[in-house]
Amino acid sequence: MLGPDTAAYLIVAAFLFTTGALGVLIRRNPLIVLLSLEIMLNGANLALIAFSRHFANGDGQIFALAVMAVAASEVVVGLGLIVAMARKNLALDVDKFSSLRG
Amino acid sequence: MNAAAWTCLLLPLASTVLITVLGGAISRRTAGWISTLSSGAAFAAAVVVFVEMLSRSPEDRSETSTAYNWLVAGNFKVGFSILTDPLSVFMMLIVTGVGSLIVAYSLGYMDGDDEERRYFAYMSLFVFSMLLLVQGGNLLFLLIGWGLVGLSSYLLIGFWHERPSAVAAAKKAFIMNAVGDATMALAFFLLIQKTGSLDFEVVFAKAGGLSQTVLVLVALGLLGGAVAKSAQLPLQTWLPDAMEGPTPVSALIHAATMVTAGVYLIVRTHPLFELAPNVQDTAAVLGTLTLLIAGLIALVQTDIKRVIAYSTMSQIGYMFLGAGIGAYANAMFLLMAHAFFKALLFLGAGIVIHALGGEQDIRKMGGLRKLMPKTWWAMLVGGLALAGMPPLSGFFAKDSIIAATLGREDWFGYVLFAAAIAGTFLTGLYTFRMLFVVFGGEQSAYVREHPPHAARDRLVEWSMGLTVAVLAVLAAFGGWIQFANVWTPITDWLRPVAEPLVEATGGQEAIASICAVAFGLAGIGVAWWIYSARRAAAPRAWAVLEHKFYFDELYNGLFYWPAVALSRVLDWTVEGPIVNGSIVGVADLTRRAGGWFRELQTGLVRVYAFALAAGLAVLILVFIAVR
Repeated sequence: MLGPDTAAYLIVAAFLFTTGALGVLIRRNPLIVLLSLEIMLNGANLALIAFSRHFANGDGQIFALAVMAVAASEVVVGLGLIVAMARKNLALDVDKFSSLRG
Repeated sequence: MNAAAWTCLLLPLASTVLITVLGGAISRRTAGWISTLSSGAAFAAAVVVFVEMLSRSPEDRSETSTAYNWLVAGNFKVGFSILTDPLSVFMMLIVTGVGSLIVAYSLGYMDGDDEERRYFAYMSLFVFSMLLLVQGGNLLFLLIGWGLVGLSSYLLIGFWHERPSAVAAAKKAFIMNAVGDATMALAFFLLIQKTGSLDFEVVFAKAGGLSQTVLVLVALGLLGGAVAKSAQLPLQTWLPDAMEGPTPVSALIHAATMVTAGVYLIVRTHPLFELAPNVQDTAAVLGTLTLLIAGLIALVQTDIKRVIAYSTMSQIGYMFLGAGIGAYANAMFLLMAHAFFKALLFLGAGIVIHALGGEQDIRKMGGLRKLMPKTWWAMLVGGLALAGMPPLSGFFAKDSIIAATLGREDWFGYVLFAAAIAGTFLTGLYTFRMLFVVFGGEQSAYVREHPPHAARDRLVEWSMGLTVAVLAVLAAFGGWIQFANVWTPITDWLRPVAEPLVEATGGQEAIASICAVAFGLAGIGVAWWIYSARRAAAPRAWAVLEHKFYFDELYNGLFYWPAVALSRVLDWTVEGPIVNGSIVGVADLTRRAGGWFRELQTGLVRVYAFALAAGLAVLILVFIAVR
């Protein structure tokens, strides 16, 4: 098997996931939160593909492709929301959006 | 005969339905005319029944007509049927005759009232209820009519429903009557169990084979109903309060319908009472006590309608006395004469009240004789008839009952005789006290300030004047259709239905008449001495009379206050802490829990994300630890 060991991939995947999670929890700019979410998803994707290679089974790769499709649609919706917020001159700060009233 | 009898029964009901359904589509006066004409037509139908019955032989005058089987349960069957016999025809004539006069009088009296249509619908319903009561072909339909009479009296007493006192009086009448309805229903249950039927003939035929206990219980139940409906001791307190209704309603309750129902019931079910002689004697004793007590209370009343109301209780007491000693025809005769003169007195009092703009306190009246001479003469006729002065109707009717007590020829009869004679003294006294105070003497300050105003228009004048005139003629001459021992059409007419137990001899009739007239005159004389000629200071009224012998207070103490106290205790011990507490507790807990959980809903995305991450971390740790 070419390349590094599976464990190395998993470490990178865990690192990516934690970085994303911290970004989601700490940052207040919705754009950065969305970006951190994508990083979390990609960390998960990397873990899936690593396991797929480890077990010589294509299922994980297929699943990673599905996650990418979901992530793409999510970005469309999320960015749409952020653009709408920016157009209304609302502050780009997730903590300011704590009420459900329209 | 049956067709006419059904017409008589259903016409007033049709009028009620018609007025109710048409509602605002007809004018108020039209509603009054519908009600008046239907009552008049019912009277015409009753006359037709009477004439047809006259042409039959006395044995063949009773007929039951069944429309259909109303209720079938196993062997127990009750048909929607009416009984047409001399007794029910007698009652039909009084109810529809006097009733239609009173309804016609209402045309004028109620003219301009806000809710005339409702009033006339109720009046027709009242007449229908009473007709169902007297025409009902079995005990169940009698009871239905009995209940409907209670309902319509409730509706009419509380007709001016914006007055709290009228609403309270209506409720009081209904509850007092409900007590009687309940005892009657219990008696009927017992009859159904023991005889398996509620038809008059079957029950009367099988009653002889029942045990004495059952008979006494049944008779007591019936007596309870009669006492409540006829406002006799001990269920009499509702009648004076019922004066809260419009005056024609009082006239209808007192003269044509309702209070006479108890007398009718005793006469109708006399075979049951005769099998329980102790109960029948009780009826006579209750009637005698009532006639004395009501007469005494009437002496101190200051409301013109209440004086007349107590006189009704007193006169019904005479009827109970008559029915109780078995002088059925005499009781029915007084019932008829009483219907005439009591309707006359009430409607005359109504004219006075109407003319004085609704004032009912006799202390504010006085000297009305010159201002209202026609009303004075009408009231004088009514008063003399009530006091039993010859040759007016009350003389013939009341004295025959008093003579019948002598006809028993035992100590019980003599005691009743003495009490009844004392009653005639009271009757003369309270009747003429009222008449002298209202009509005699100088005009009072109130009358000078509020002179009687003329009727608004001809219809009002005619409807009130003409009906009173007709009743005055009836009250004056209605008694002539029976002159004891010489000319007795009423006794003969009712003989097939209710054979009298006692019949007085000519000598006894004479003694009774002389005593009654002498004592009646004495009462009138005392009233004249105190209230007219000398205007002597009236003796101070005893407190016990002003408080109506403390019956209201007694019932408050016996039933009302214990019920209130029990409710309070239950409120404190059960309702408050347990019923209310549990519900309030659940609601309170839910709200407080909601308050706690609301704190978690910060709306900050980061907090939710952290909760997710932390939850995940905990789960991972748990999984690792469990492995």
